[in-house]
This record gives sequence, structure tokens and C-alpha cells, in this order.
Amino acid sequence: MPVPLAHVIALSAILFAIGTVGALSRRNLVVILMSIELMLNAANVAFLGFARAWASLDGHVMVLMVIVVAAAEVAVGLGIVIALFRNRESVDVEEVSLLKW
Amino acid sequence: MNAPQLDMAAIAPLAFAAFGALFVLLGEVWLTRRRTNEHFINAALSVLSISFLGLSVYCAGAAFSDGTTRVFDPANPMLSLDRFAAYSIALIGIASLLICFASISYLPQVGINHGEYYALLLLSTAGMFLLVGATDLMALFLGLELMSIPLYVMAGFDRRNLRSNESAFKYFLVGSFASAILLYGIALVYGVTGSLGFDAIRAGFPPGNPIGIVGLGLLVVGFAFKVASAPFHQWAPDVYEGAPTSVTAYMAITVKVAAFAALLRLLTQAFGPVTASLSDLFWVLAALTIVVGNVMAVIQTNLKRLLAYSSIAHAGYLLIGFATGTVEGYGAVLFYLLVYVFTNLGAFAVLMALAQGGRDCDTLDDLAGLARQRPGLAALLTLFALSLAGIPGTAGFVAKFFVFESAVASGQTVLAIIGVLGSVVSFYYYLRLPVQMYMSEAATETPRRHAATGELLVLAVCAVVVLFLGFFPSHAPGVLGAVRALEWARSSVAMLY
Repeated sequence: MPVPLAHVIALSAILFAIGTVGALSRRNLVVILMSIELMLNAANVAFLGFARAWASLDGHVMVLMVIVVAAAEVAVGLGIVIALFRNRESVDVEEVSLLKW
Repeated sequence: MNAPQLDMAAIAPLAFAAFGALFVLLGEVWLTRRRTNEHFINAALSVLSISFLGLSVYCAGAAFSDGTTRVFDPANPMLSLDRFAAYSIALIGIASLLICFASISYLPQVGINHGEYYALLLLSTAGMFLLVGATDLMALFLGLELMSIPLYVMAGFDRRNLRSNESAFKYFLVGSFASAILLYGIALVYGVTGSLGFDAIRAGFPPGNPIGIVGLGLLVVGFAFKVASAPFHQWAPDVYEGAPTSVTAYMAITVKVAAFAALLRLLTQAFGPVTASLSDLFWVLAALTIVVGNVMAVIQTNLKRLLAYSSIAHAGYLLIGFATGTVEGYGAVLFYLLVYVFTNLGAFAVLMALAQGGRDCDTLDDLAGLARQRPGLAALLTLFALSLAGIPGTAGFVAKFFVFESAVASGQTVLAIIGVLGSVVSFYYYLRLPVQMYMSEAATETPRRHAATGELLVLAVCAVVVLFLGFFPSHAPGVLGAVRALEWARSSVAMLY
């Protein structure tokens, strides 16, 4: 028996919510990065669910694109985290506060 | 299966920018092996980038005057080069090209003379070209990411500087968060229409479906983050302040043009039938952005922060055009973007010309006594500040006039009044620049360097455009006549319908 579309979309909405809350409330840079990845993957789950419901290939292709883009984004993100860590020896966002107001 | 009929001319501007980036990377390796002088390498790579961007702009210009719509793959339309795309590409291309000119002397002055800078700039520009030409949500997302990812690196280009690190880090977090939101919006829109192409979405978007409405809302929020519209603007001042000035200029100018152009195309081509229901949303965004941008700019003492809040305020004026939802309003937006590019670029170019000895010129105090030491630069910065404020006789006035006129014509009088009041407030903080330059003296006098040729060229181009657009709205030749430029903008928008 195939999984109904509603379940797939509910799963993706829950993942997206967890990712959003994580990105907004966590203080460790690497955890925030992971939360953003979770948001992207929530969108991927939704794409796949909809692609099956519409019997269209666009969603599948889009998921491949998103995976590539997410990989590029993480590479750059980790690079930035390393640059920051070298100068500051910390990955806590609360301490990254030279620039304000 | 038949081979697809591809129209290579449709991707010519994009291809030139992308290949330019590869050539710059190769060129850097090749030149460094020969151990030539670092300044020479920097200048050579800059000239290489400028020539590739020049080719892109040339292709876009030809496509614009040609006026026909070219679709890369007609069987599966994802990317097209039409009048609208050509107008935006030309604008973005010219802005990037001028920033390359100004960077030749700026990068060595602040000690970040690395060749990757130009490669990243070209890649990001290629992303913008893709973004404004996209007629499919997949191409739109790719363009957005190709634009953003190099920019994260560029913001942190001064990697030994903590401020630059912090700027890159904040930009990365907010940018990728916004991309994720936008992507989820795309997923939901795909869910209700079963397609990613703009034409199919236009035909199949169900107006009352809650999932579709949430999807469209997430798309708009994603773009609101990218253009730094209130209440999604908090990142902009921090990021603009910490990044090297040339990168700040690039982010403030080209990203705004690309994101607004893409949003405009999305709202007309893909969501044309339901855009009218978004009018209230844009009303609120525009009013909030104008108020927040102008009020917060008043209390700034850092020049780059001041210009960041000023660019937030300008995003507010641009959103007025979106609140009208008419061809006139959208045409006024495109024209405003043209003026915004040259005015802001001029202001940033003055700041770049004032950077020296590894230090950016970025506080108001740095401007003290400038009028005596470098009267030319002081006069130019005054001109650009006045144009940003919208004093009659400058391009900024004409641009604001067209936007407010379109708002009144479509019955958004209150919004136009908020816009005018916002500009009145803005006079206060823009006039602080000339006051500082002409009326106060520096406590300790440091000798200032002479502006380099590249910077002078950029300043001259910007000053000519700002003055001509402001003084001769209907009589100047070519793009310098505001009325004709507005006609071009309107005709670009009209073909989207």
C-alpha cells in the first residue's frame, strides 16, 4: 500500500518546522547549519511527494538540483565557520557581535 | 528522440560571464606562476573580467534593441532572453563592470589583492543573469543560489579581519535561511500546480487553495529577505558594514536589481492573475520598510551602515511600485532601479577612493575636512547624497517622482504620502555628509591619496548619468533622457503580460 500524499506532506511540514525552530533558536553555528540543511531536505520530501502525486519528473530533477546546491552551500558555510573559528576560537553565535545597531 | 533545438543566443550573456569566471581563475594561476608583480596581476584579471562583462552587456543591448524573445529551449522553456531580461542584464552587467574598474585600486589599498575576487564576482553576476531570465522556478532557484553563494565568500573576503568574518557568517546564515524558505514555497507551489514553469503556473494556479497561498507567501518572504525589506532587514546593516566596501557596493546594488527584477517577473508572468490580492501585503511591506529604513538611518555614525539603511529605505520606495500592481508602477520600479544603480555606485565609489593604507573610510568622522583636501570627491559625494535624497535636478528626484506618480494614479495616495514623508526624513541624514565634509575639520590631518583612474572613470560615468537624468528629462540623448529610459522600462515590463 503506497503512503498517502497527506502523510508525506505532514512529514515534510514537521521537518521544516523543526529546521526553522532550530535555525532561529540554536546558538552553535554548526547546529544552525544542520537545521538549515533540514529545512532544505524538508522541501525535498515535499517535492518527491508532489512529484509522485502529479506523476511528473520535474520534482525529481528539482531534488537533484537542491542536493547539489545544498552541498555547495555547506562547503562555503563550513569554510566561513573555519575562518571565523581561526580568528576567534569559538562557534557560539552569541559571541559574534562586533557589528550591531 | 530528437535533439532539442537550442538557441544559444539566449544564453550568450550568461555564458560570457560564466566562462569569464573560469578564464579569470586560469589566468590567475598562469600569471602567478610567472611571478609577475601583484598589482599587474590584479589589473590584468580585472581587465579580463571587464571585457567578458562588456561582451555580456553588448549581447543584452543587442537583444534589447532587437526586441524579440529568445527562449533557450522552446520545448521546455526555462530561460529566456527577452526585453525585460535584456534590460535587467544590461543594468547588472554595467554595474558589475564599473565595480571591477573601481576594484583595481581599491583591493590593493585594503590588502585583499587576490584574483579569486573577480572570479567570484563574475560567477555571482552569472547567477543574477540566470535569475532575471528564469521562466521556471528551477532556474530561478539555481540563479538565486549561484548569485548568493559567491557573495557569501566575497563578504568574508578580508579573511583576517573579524568584522569581515562576521559579515560573511551573518550573510550566509540569513541568506541560506531565506533560500530554504523560498525553496519550501517553490515546493508548495509545485504541489498545487504540478509544474515549475511560469506559464503552467499561470494557467493552473488555484486562487483559493490554502497550500498555494502559503507557497506564494513563502516565496515573497524569501525575496523580502534578499532585498532586505522590513521586517526581514536586520541582517543588511551588519553585513554591509563588515564586508569590504567594493563588495558592499556590489551587494547593495546588483543583488537588489536582480532580486527585484526576478520578483517582478515572477509576479507578472507566473502569478499575474492573483497578484492583485498581494497588493495589501506589499502596501504593508513598503510602508514598514520606508519608515524603518529612514528612521534607523538617522542615528547611524558609520557610513556603510548609513548607506545600508538608506538602501533599505530605497527598497521601500521600490515596493511602492509593487503595491500598485500596474504596468506604470512596475515600469517606474525598473526605472528607479536604473537610477539607484548609478547613484549608489557613485556614493560607494567615493568611499572606495577614500580607502587607504589597509583601512576603509567608513565613519562620518573620516569625512571631516574632505572638502579642503579633495574638493572634487567632496563635491561628487554631495551630488550623490543629494540624488539619494531626491533633490530636484538630480536623477533621484525623477525616479521618486515616477514611483509616487504611479502610486497616486492607482489610488495608493496614502502610500505615496508615506514615501514623501520618508524622503523628507532622509534629507536629514543625507545632508550630514556634506555638512561633515564642508563644515568640520579633522582632529588629526592624515594625507589622502589621489583617486585612481578606474575610480575616476566610475565616478565620471555615475555623475554624468545622475546629472543628465535629473536635468534634462526629455532632451538628452539615449539612456540619458529620463523619459526615454522610462519608456524602455515600461516596454520591458509590458512584454511580460
